[in-house]
Amino acid sequence: MRGGFFMLVFGMLAGCSSIPETDRSDLRDPYENNNRKIFAFNMGVDSYVLEPVADGYRSNVPDSGRRAVDNHLDWAGLPSTVLNSTIQGDLENAALATIHFAINGLTFGFVDLTEDPGAVEKRDFGQTLARANVPEGDYLMVPLLGANSGRNLAGRVVDTLTNPLSFFQAGNAGNTIRTAQIPARTVAIRANNFDTFNNIKYTSIDSYARTRSLYYQMREGELRDRQDKVQVTSATDDEFDAFFDEPAK
Amino acid sequence: MLASAMMIWIGGQNGFAGTNQIDDANKLVTQMMVEVESILANDINDDIARRENVSALFDRYFDLPTIAKFSAGPYWRAANADQKTAYELAIRDVIIGTVVRNFDQLSGLKFTATDSQAKGTQLVLVSGTFTDINQQQPPIMVGWRVVTADNASPRILDVEIENISMLVTQKQENIAIIRKNEGKFAALIDAMKQRTQSNN
Repeated sequence: MRGGFFMLVFGMLAGCSSIPETDRSDLRDPYENNNRKIFAFNMGVDSYVLEPVADGYRSNVPDSGRRAVDNHLDWAGLPSTVLNSTIQGDLENAALATIHFAINGLTFGFVDLTEDPGAVEKRDFGQTLARANVPEGDYLMVPLLGANSGRNLAGRVVDTLTNPLSFFQAGNAGNTIRTAQIPARTVAIRANNFDTFNNIKYTSIDSYARTRSLYYQMREGELRDRQDKVQVTSATDDEFDAFFDEPAK
Repeated sequence: MLASAMMIWIGGQNGFAGTNQIDDANKLVTQMMVEVESILANDINDDIARRENVSALFDRYFDLPTIAKFSAGPYWRAANADQKTAYELAIRDVIIGTVVRNFDQLSGLKFTATDSQAKGTQLVLVSGTFTDINQQQPPIMVGWRVVTADNASPRILDVEIENISMLVTQKQENIAIIRKNEGKFAALIDAMKQRTQSNN
């Protein structure tokens, strides 16, 4: 079902025409015209469905209930972290994620029983591909899924297909919970970032361009190891270096 | 050995901001955060008073000419003097408007500086965290890029929150708008003015 959705998305993207490099507002975005149309569609879905649902969720569900949902969604993502940390050679993170998954599994992830919830770094297959120096690919705005690079979208497909939880036969109740995780995650993210999201949506001059910029900066931040961050120069640092290096005028 | 030491010394002199510049940048950010906390403590949810306070803070601590030049990207060079002046005013209004609208979000947060490092000869990055005094939210990483050119008071150029640079975001948005309007810088200024009016 989910694989079918991704096939549909890739099929749509294959039919898109690209913009010549000289006419692009960002070199990484050759399908800007089509991407903008999909972005407008996504914003419509947000206005009519997601924003009101997220607003109701954050207004009516108490903090403790929302925290429990966040905990469960984080917990459900741990098997992917275990798998990708292992592939990336970060066995310490893989071990920590396994321990957290086992301990919090006692409450199906709704209660965080560990003493240090921030100890595990989330890892996904997009990061694994980046570590293997797979090119980032073009910027793609995907219906309902939002901003992605080609590499990250491929990573999401693999993360969905290889999620170890989907191999367990948990009966109808388990399947229902797994299916509900997708919209629940979307609503929780929208609710947790409600004001920030609305700021981009309602107060930016070009919300599409702003979203694209934020996506790339966030993703780059996720890709840099927290430990190495002091030593690694970011693309943002490069922008400032280039600015101060050019002759003053 | 001596040659290596000389190279390191020369590199230290020419490649990066010195210790004094790092100290100055630290002091500037700390001083500004003290003022922000004071404004928040006396905030009575009055938009006009809030705008006045934020404007004064911005003019005292931020480097508007460099912010304008950076955020206009390559189009700054082609702009005429009138356009540059109009753009400086427009970007100032956009930034102040954004801060005023989101000022509430700073309430209940405490800033703690954790590290400062030179980024080339003219920039210092003062890093720190905003922590929720009620411990309801996880800490937020924040970085202040401070211009510390010789013979000038240090001024803040950029704020980076959780790896997202506010100025780089603004620049990329601006470039997209100008390109969408066939390279016309005036179109960006008009769009900014319209947005500021509709947001106020």
